This record gives sequence, C-alpha cells and structure tokens, in this order.
Amino acid sequence: MKIARLDPPGHIDDLATPALQAAYSKWLSDRFDVGVNSVTQFLTAHGGGTSQFYNPVMHGRTDPDLAPSLGDISWNGFPKRFLSTGPGAPTHFANAEPAPAAGRTRPQDEYLEWFVHRNAAGKIARLDFTCEGYDYFEFLAGHDEAKLLALYRTFVDASAKKTDLFSNGTYNIKNKWNTKHGAMHLTHPANNLFAEVFLAASATVRRKKPGGGEETSSIPLIRCAEYGAENRNSDPNIGRAVNGLAREKRMITLANPVGLYMAAFDGAGITLDGAAADGFFRVTRGTFPLALRGVFELPPALAAAGKTVSDVKIGGTSVEFGGQLAQRITMHLVGVASVAQPVDNAPAVCGGVPQVGSPGAIVGTPLTPRTAE
Amino acid sequence: MLSRRTSRAAGRTLRSRRSGPDAIHALAKQLGEPLLEVNDIQGNILAGFSKDHQSLIALAIRDVGAARRWLARIEGHISSTAEVLQFNQLFRMQRARIGADPPGLVATWANVAFSHHGLERLTSRAHANAVPDAPFRAGLPARAGLLGDRAASPSADPTSEWVVGRTGQVPDVLLIVAGDDPTKLVDLCGRLRPNAGDGRGAPEVIWEELGETRIDLPGHEHFGFKDGVSQPAVRGVVSSGPDVFLSPRVLAAPAPGEVEFAKPGQPLIWPGQFVFGYPSTDGSGASGGGPVAPPRDLPQWIRNGSLLVFRRLRQDVAGFTNFIQAAARDPSLSAIAGMSPELLGALCVGRWKSGAPISRARNADLPAIAGDALANNDFLFTVDTPAPILLPGMHPPSPAFPPALADMHGLVCPHAAHIRKMNPRDQDSDLGDQFDTLTRRILRRGISYGPPLADPRTDDGVDRGLHFLSYQTSIESQFEVLQQNWANRRDNPTPGGHDIIIGQTDDQVRTIELLISGGAASVPMSAPTQFVRATGGGYFFAPSIGTLRHVLAGGDPL
Repeated sequence: MKIARLDPPGHIDDLATPALQAAYSKWLSDRFDVGVNSVTQFLTAHGGGTSQFYNPVMHGRTDPDLAPSLGDISWNGFPKRFLSTGPGAPTHFANAEPAPAAGRTRPQDEYLEWFVHRNAAGKIARLDFTCEGYDYFEFLAGHDEAKLLALYRTFVDASAKKTDLFSNGTYNIKNKWNTKHGAMHLTHPANNLFAEVFLAASATVRRKKPGGGEETSSIPLIRCAEYGAENRNSDPNIGRAVNGLAREKRMITLANPVGLYMAAFDGAGITLDGAAADGFFRVTRGTFPLALRGVFELPPALAAAGKTVSDVKIGGTSVEFGGQLAQRITMHLVGVASVAQPVDNAPAVCGGVPQVGSPGAIVGTPLTPRTAE
Repeated sequence: MLSRRTSRAAGRTLRSRRSGPDAIHALAKQLGEPLLEVNDIQGNILAGFSKDHQSLIALAIRDVGAARRWLARIEGHISSTAEVLQFNQLFRMQRARIGADPPGLVATWANVAFSHHGLERLTSRAHANAVPDAPFRAGLPARAGLLGDRAASPSADPTSEWVVGRTGQVPDVLLIVAGDDPTKLVDLCGRLRPNAGDGRGAPEVIWEELGETRIDLPGHEHFGFKDGVSQPAVRGVVSSGPDVFLSPRVLAAPAPGEVEFAKPGQPLIWPGQFVFGYPSTDGSGASGGGPVAPPRDLPQWIRNGSLLVFRRLRQDVAGFTNFIQAAARDPSLSAIAGMSPELLGALCVGRWKSGAPISRARNADLPAIAGDALANNDFLFTVDTPAPILLPGMHPPSPAFPPALADMHGLVCPHAAHIRKMNPRDQDSDLGDQFDTLTRRILRRGISYGPPLADPRTDDGVDRGLHFLSYQTSIESQFEVLQQNWANRRDNPTPGGHDIIIGQTDDQVRTIELLISGGAASVPMSAPTQFVRATGGGYFFAPSIGTLRHVLAGGDPL
C-alpha cells in the first residue's frame, strides 16, 4: 500500500484544514516510524532481518496487496478478563463497569469503553460507547482546542468548559467529562492508537518456539513477544493474525484510516415489551464497519412514555449493565499485507521489542504500548 | 501418576490388579482423568445412541402426582452410559468377527429430559432456577429471537408457527427413544407413553415425531452431506478394562501446552463441558486446556446431568439445490477455479457430500478420505497439518491422501464455511484462542426426519429436515455462541461472511466471501432466503438417573 497521507480514524471530518490534516498525517506517520525503527533495531540485535512492518506514507509499496478481508481482525467488545471462566461461573458485569469517578480509568481494555447514564431512579437511560484512542484527542488538544471543546459539548455535555479539559495547560485525558460524567474517548492506558501501531509492528517479528520450529499459537506467542496482555480478546488475536501474515513473508502495515473500530452491532433478540429494539443502537461518529462512537437509547416516544434501557431485554434477560450490550459489539482493525512474499526473516528469540525513539512531542500522557498492567 | 504417554497406551490395555470400585478410582487417579459415573449418567449424552431410528415424544405434565407415578413406571427403561458403552463394545466385537454389522444384535434405548417448566412442576421454581444456565431458565421461546429465528410476519413471536415448543406450549418432558429395529422402537414407545393405567392426570403427549437416517443415503442429511463427522472426544475413565477411557486414544501424547487429541481432529475436552459436576476445560489458554473444577456450590441433584438443546430444523432441499446450481453458473464466480455446483456446495459447507474435508481435497470429492476415520477429520487451518503420530497397532491412513496445508486466509476452506464457523480449530476466534474454542464444543446427537426428496430440484411440499440435538452444560456459552455469535454474524469467529447453511440474519440474506487470485481479491456470494428454518424445539435438562429416580419420580425433598 502506498498513500500520500494518513487520515484520521474513520475518515472523520474533525480536521477542518489541509494544514491540520497534514499535521495529523505526520503525527501518525511518526508513530509508524517508531514502530518500524524499533522492529529494525530488534531484528538487527537478534540475528538480522528486515522489518516486515512499514510506513505506508514514507515507504509505501506499489505492488498489490491481499484482499482487505484477509487483514481484517475481529474480537468481542466485552473484556475477556470479566467473562465467565466455565459452566456455572457468572460473568462479572458489575466489575467491568464500576461507578464512574473523576480521574478514574475504566477497566475496559479491549479498545471499547462505555458509559452508563442512569436516571434519578437508578434506571439506565442511555449507554455511550466509544473506541477512540485518547492520543487522537491529545492531538486535537494540541492543534485545535475549539474542535476538542465542540466535540465534548456535542457528545458529552453542552456545559463543558475548556478549563474542565485542561490542567496546567495540558489536556487531561481523564477529565471529569471523560470519566465521572461521560465517555468522550478511551481512558485505559493501553487503549491508544500508538499502541495499535506498535502492537502491529511488534507482531511482525517471527518467533522461535522453545524446542525447535516457529511459534504459531496465540498465547505462547504473546508471552514470547510481550506485545500485550494475554487475558484479552484483542491482543492475542491481533498479534497472532499479524504474525501469521509475517510468517508468510509478507510486508505488512495498517489500512488507512488507521483506527480501532466497531464493525457491527448485533441487535438480534433485543426487545422492549416484546417488540424488536430496532434502531436503539445508533452510530454517532463514523459509520459501520468503521464506527467510532455509538449510543444505545430508546426513541423519544418510548422514553417519554417512561420506558428506559433497563426495560430492554436481550434473549429474555433484562439489561442491567452496559456490558451486556458491549458483548453484542464486534470490534476490529484492518491490516494490509502484500501479495508478494519478499522477506524471510529467521525467527527471533523471545523478548519484547523495546520502543526505540519517541514520536515527536508528546503532549500529556506518556504513550504506553499494550503490555500487561 | 503415570506420564501422559504411558497412560495413553496403558488406558487401552491396562487391567487393574485390584477389583471393585476402589480399583477403578485408583486407576482414574493414576491416569489423571475423572471417573465418569456411567451408571448414573444417561446414555445419550456421552456415549450417544447412534441409531438409525429415533423418536422424540414431548409431553405436558398435568397432575404432578400422576407424573411422578408415570416416571417411576418408566424409569427402569432409561438407559445409562454404561449400558450403551457395553452394547457398543459388543457390537464392535461381533462386527470384527463377522466382518459386517451383526444382524441379530439390536438395542433400543430411551432417555428423558425436562424443561425449566417441567422441572419447576416436579421440584420448585427455586430448584429449577438453580440450574446454572440462563437460557435454560428462560426457555427457548425467549431466546429464539437472539438465535435469529423469525416468524413469517416480522412482528410476530418467532415461535408462533412452531409445531412443538412455541411460547406457552413448551413441553415439560422430552423422551428420546432410539433403536436399530423400527418395530422394537415402536414397541418401546408404546410402553413409555402414558396409558390408561397411569391414571387420569397422567402426562399428555403433545407432539411426537420419528426421525430416521436417510434410507437412500444413511448418515447424510437432506441436502446430501454426510453429517456428524466431527465430534469432540471427552476425557474420563469409564471402566477398569479393556476400554478404560470413554474416548479411545490412538495418538501419541502432544508436546506440553498443545491441544491433545484422542483421534486426529478430535480434541479431548474435560467432561464438565458436557456433564455437570466434573472439571471443565480452561478456555483462557493460560494452562493449555487444563481442567477447571466445577462450582463448589453445584447442587447434588444437578450432578451427572446435562443440558439438551433440541431444534427442529426444516430444510428446503429444492431451494438449496436450485440456488447452488444457479449460483455456481453466475459470472461473478467464474474466476474460482473449477467452479461447479458440487464445489460451491463444498465451499459453503467445508466438506464435500461424502464428508471429505475440502481442506484436504480442494478440487474434487475424495470419498476414500471420507471413509477413513483417522483422515476425514485430520486438518488444521493455520499451519500445515502434520501427519498423525499413532500409537502402536493403529492402522495409519493412506499416505496417498493429500494433507491439509496452511489455509489461514481461507482460500481453500472459506472462513464462513459451515464447519469452519462451527469449529475454528487452531485458528483464533473473536472470543479467544483454540483453547477457548474447545469450551464452545457440543456433542451432537441429531437425526434426519422426513423422507428424502426424490428429485432434489423439485419440491414435493413434504416437511423434512433435522432433529438437531446437542448436549452441553452451558447453552449460553456453547450452543448459543455457535448459532448467534458465529453462524449469524459476518465477522465472527473470523471475518468472511455468514454461515450460508444455518446462518440467520434480519433480512434472511447471508453472504459468504470467496477468495480468488490467490487471495488478492474476494467475491461475495449471497443467498437471499434461508434454506434451514427452526420449526420447533426446546431447552431441556437431562437429569442423572439417580435424580430421575429419587427426586423427579420419587419426590424426595431437595
């Protein structure tokens, strides 16, 4: 793949001017370069080889790529760590969505977070779902504060003020409008765009299997390569899929627009008073399969009649937690792999790929790759 | 404890020097697998009836006392795992001697299961609610929408036209009666059905149907495909010899951390996945599929029981046949090498009609491989499948059978092919890795119903299809994941389309992505209407024989 410019997630129209669009492209391209450089250095130190991860802007490739669906990697939006561990064991929905508190990270680490709005009676009025990386918002904060504020006012609360979002001149990703009172974007330290890029880059490093041969299974691979947490739906799956493409000697990058997305929402069996809850889930930023933000709420007429999301049933079970709807969301990212198979690196020993270099000025939160907490 | 390698070989030939129940406990401990209480577990769950004729009889409880008396009368006919295993062993011995199925050796079996409503009537609501599965407690009608079932009219209850199990008419009891000889089957059904002697208020038969393997193509379902090729193996010790394990082991032990198979393609799963009260498989991947203890607070009366999913699936054979014929001729698929109706069918199913997996036979059916139980299920998706390392004395498959090569992308077996959807094998899914997939497996015990369609292109208006039956201990995490998460969604377990055969969507349209040009492009193929629709069913609890005898029939307090 060769492109002139990296676009914002979901081709969202936040960036009003060509200058902003160019700045964003450079911002993200720098992150690709960190990934490529880190992998290159690791390979050099461990038997040699060429990075199979590339920057599609700076080192784009014009030869053909595999069909897009072959780079499509999906996972379930509900955090694996809270799932039932076996027959008879419950899913810990409550633990997945503790009461919101100012400055507190949400424990939802599959690149999907949600906020539960309850009414005075404690019933669920609305659920907001977001899969936008916090570093994207840090970019906005550093380049277009007005846009940042406008987004908060549109999607979280009209009374949000700039002083609420910044502390000592620095954008606070865990400001009250993104924690205690709502969810504008992701808060979990592992849920950022750079982490996605770095995970994809790291996973292109082929690995030796102890005892001979090459590692191909997802949990041993993530333990060997240390590119994420094994008790997630996302990291082992993403890593293993990318690594599989690398084992096929392909050159790999991420599809443009780079992002983590909601691919689909499964509304089957969701009812209110026996009628299908059609249209209760709406995408409010992006569009399927590149949805960035969604909301689950009743149409105005039903809400006015006093019904709430708590009256909705999924397969006969009442909705008590946002996580029950998160389970109906399929998340995905899209990689791109060359048809050509030009690089045959020798598998490397175990050990994480250290991050080499820093992608330009970092505003606010230090960027963290997707290692285990 | 014996090493895995030794214990696998030992399990086939070991005879305990001691005798009596202590001996088998010691043996199970030595082998590191649970002792399955084969006299208490109903026979269809782990052993499987596997008969050519199988009747389902659905009953409603009228008077509870009369129901108990009837259950007490029939309880002696309920077949245990021990009986079915012994019969199967005798059958194999005679077949080995004769060289064909022994004509005089027949068995007729019966098992029984209860819906939440039935259980509630015989025990209490609190006890029925103690069964640890939300879908079972809700009942199938409440879950039908989730599974994608739709009535003809969009706003209607999806079960409104069902012939059994619709809302408000959920059976309390389901009898499964199976046999080699149809006359004896009819006879046993006659004995089991409530009669005048059971008194007024005895349970009432509300629906009944005979299922039979196709007389023209035994073992093939109505679209023509061999069914039931792939079943998981279940860990557990059943006797002190000569067949120690429930699932015979023919393979050498794998490397640590790898999935262990009993036969090629047949992974070993801890029995708690299928029978309550036993360890189940750790799906996290962290322990390489090791055992997870059952919940400590599981009530005693639920142990040795299982959950039964019944779905009466009507099949539109002419619709399927004509669709495949037309679609195979569509210009959009002309880029697929060797396109034909047979190939297109195999791409949608993942096997040719003979049962040969497309992963091992891309261009044409290979019935020889279908006929070899050590070859027909031996394929992985993400790596070249290695040749099986068999234990001494096993007859290896023909080296002429083509191996399955790495097919991560689905060029040979599409991601949305039915068997790949239902069992992603070594590939990751949206829910986890191959160990997580082990926790989704089910034991299938279904059979066709209705006569075969004489001309598969011309509908005759006759109702035919499949009595789908599966056993599992979590309908929510097992059966429903397969239908709802995987068959019905385009992106799960991996992106590539819906399951053309059993997938259900809002507008019925299912689409499968077929790859061309070595993966450089894909062509979507859509089926506009469903060929398989649910026309009945239910979620049931199959109790242990002890619970049946003492609690449900006997009325012992819990």
